[in-house]
Amino acid sequence: MFKPGNLVLALLALLPLALLVAGPENIPDTLAFAGRAAGILGLSSLLVAGIVSVRIPRFDVWFGGLTQLWKIHHVLGAAAFVLVMAHPLLLAFASARVSIQAAAAVLFPYPASWSVWAGWAAFAALTVFLAPMFWFFGQPEYQRWKALHALSGVAIVLGVAHAVPLGRSLAGNWGKTIWLGYGALALAAFVYRKFVAPLTARKTYTVVNARTIARDVVELTLAPEKELLSYRVGQFVYLTPLDPGLASGRNEEHPYTVSSSPREPALRVAIKDVGDATHTLQTVAAGGKALVEGPYGDFFPVKKRTDGELWIAGGIGLAPFLSRARALSPDDTVDVHLIYCVQDETRAHFLSDLEAITAKIPGFRLWKHFFYREGPLSGAFMSVCCPDFPSREIYVCGPPPLITAARRELRRHGVPGSRIHTEDFTWL
Amino acid sequence: MAVKRLIYSAFIAFVASVATIVILASLSPRTEKSAAEKERLVSLDELARHSRATDCWMAIEGSVYDFTDYISVHPTSPAVLTKWCGKEATEAFNTKGYGSPHSPATWGMLPKYFVGKLREK
Repeated sequence: MFKPGNLVLALLALLPLALLVAGPENIPDTLAFAGRAAGILGLSSLLVAGIVSVRIPRFDVWFGGLTQLWKIHHVLGAAAFVLVMAHPLLLAFASARVSIQAAAAVLFPYPASWSVWAGWAAFAALTVFLAPMFWFFGQPEYQRWKALHALSGVAIVLGVAHAVPLGRSLAGNWGKTIWLGYGALALAAFVYRKFVAPLTARKTYTVVNARTIARDVVELTLAPEKELLSYRVGQFVYLTPLDPGLASGRNEEHPYTVSSSPREPALRVAIKDVGDATHTLQTVAAGGKALVEGPYGDFFPVKKRTDGELWIAGGIGLAPFLSRARALSPDDTVDVHLIYCVQDETRAHFLSDLEAITAKIPGFRLWKHFFYREGPLSGAFMSVCCPDFPSREIYVCGPPPLITAARRELRRHGVPGSRIHTEDFTWL
Repeated sequence: MAVKRLIYSAFIAFVASVATIVILASLSPRTEKSAAEKERLVSLDELARHSRATDCWMAIEGSVYDFTDYISVHPTSPAVLTKWCGKEATEAFNTKGYGSPHSPATWGMLPKYFVGKLREK
């Protein structure tokens, strides 16, 4: 969904290119112009990607939530990588009209130029930390990928060191101002995220209860040491367990959706066993400490609350809906149908909680969809549960295949994209 | 997944292209100047005689270059260069008229157009 913050990001990324077009140099040579434009747009994409990775709680709402912001971050990162490869090649091709030696001298000038080498070093750093992202060597391991991503700070410094002395295409001091300004913001974002936020933005909580929901799902109740985080239903937090007894995942932060109502005195998160870190949390003991940073996400808009709604939850994607359902009181006039999609009866977690809410809240209806029995989620199934679903506000949360299938079915039944809200659980 | 494959392919294409340019540059014959040509001295008067777009010499940092064949290749419009034909153009080269220097790559192209040294007065 479009948010004003996204317009700001687009303008920020495109401003240097606009300055090139309006710049003092009339460059009729297409290759030379394209080469400069690729370098300028590539660096601005890289720096804006760096700036958006700052991840300040609550600010992400201006951009449609942190999930949306990470998607923007990924698109900018991929664009930057492709553009900074095109940049030297196009400039070399432009010089190939003089001679092949001149083309090679664009790439590796002799006598050596430190600013050109800074550009190559920035590209090398970019390749090393982006290669796992594009699966150059197969699917990467999360923590190693995260450690490699720290090289982005090096790429930012070297990229700016390349562009400031060589950037000759923007009028007057615009080149220096833009690159040093964007570079300082991106570096500040990097330093804040890596070194400042771990010390200041994370708040200490104690695990007061670990409720085993199933063999592979646990719901932790976390009591704050000071004041409780204020959050909206459907938001998520980054949780860093500190319990020395944990076999893995200690001191590692991962995002989890809050499953409690904001009115509860403590925070609850539902955690499914999907990897090493989440596996050890299944058996975490009460009394351990954990750090919480957040809240993030913008799944349920602040407005649009009174219309009829359809919720589609897939597996642990139930968590944000659980949070909102738990926040309902019998006095609320709601008209909500929840379709809970799971493989089979043994995976339908939190059923007792949901049934209690159904009994208490008049306008809340629960439907169970078992993949083994009903097959993929279809519009026909949705019609049976809730015949007026095409006119409702629709929220979908779950694994990417369910979101893709649900979106396809909804669009086929004429639901406009603006009324479909999704939150997927992918790498953040 | 498709985007990942595309980016991986772009990366391989990039590495292959850079390698091709470097290998071709090292294999193709250079237009080496003879010792006599390197020591040739050009006076300001001689320089001034090559002041047309069809016969354009310039002096940059004590060296004289024949840019006649380069004018059509230069990224800007020809007028930016031709007004310096037959003249000492170091400052114009270093500032491009608005205080911004040429890139190291441009310096790398100069030897191809070298004519001789500018004779001191």
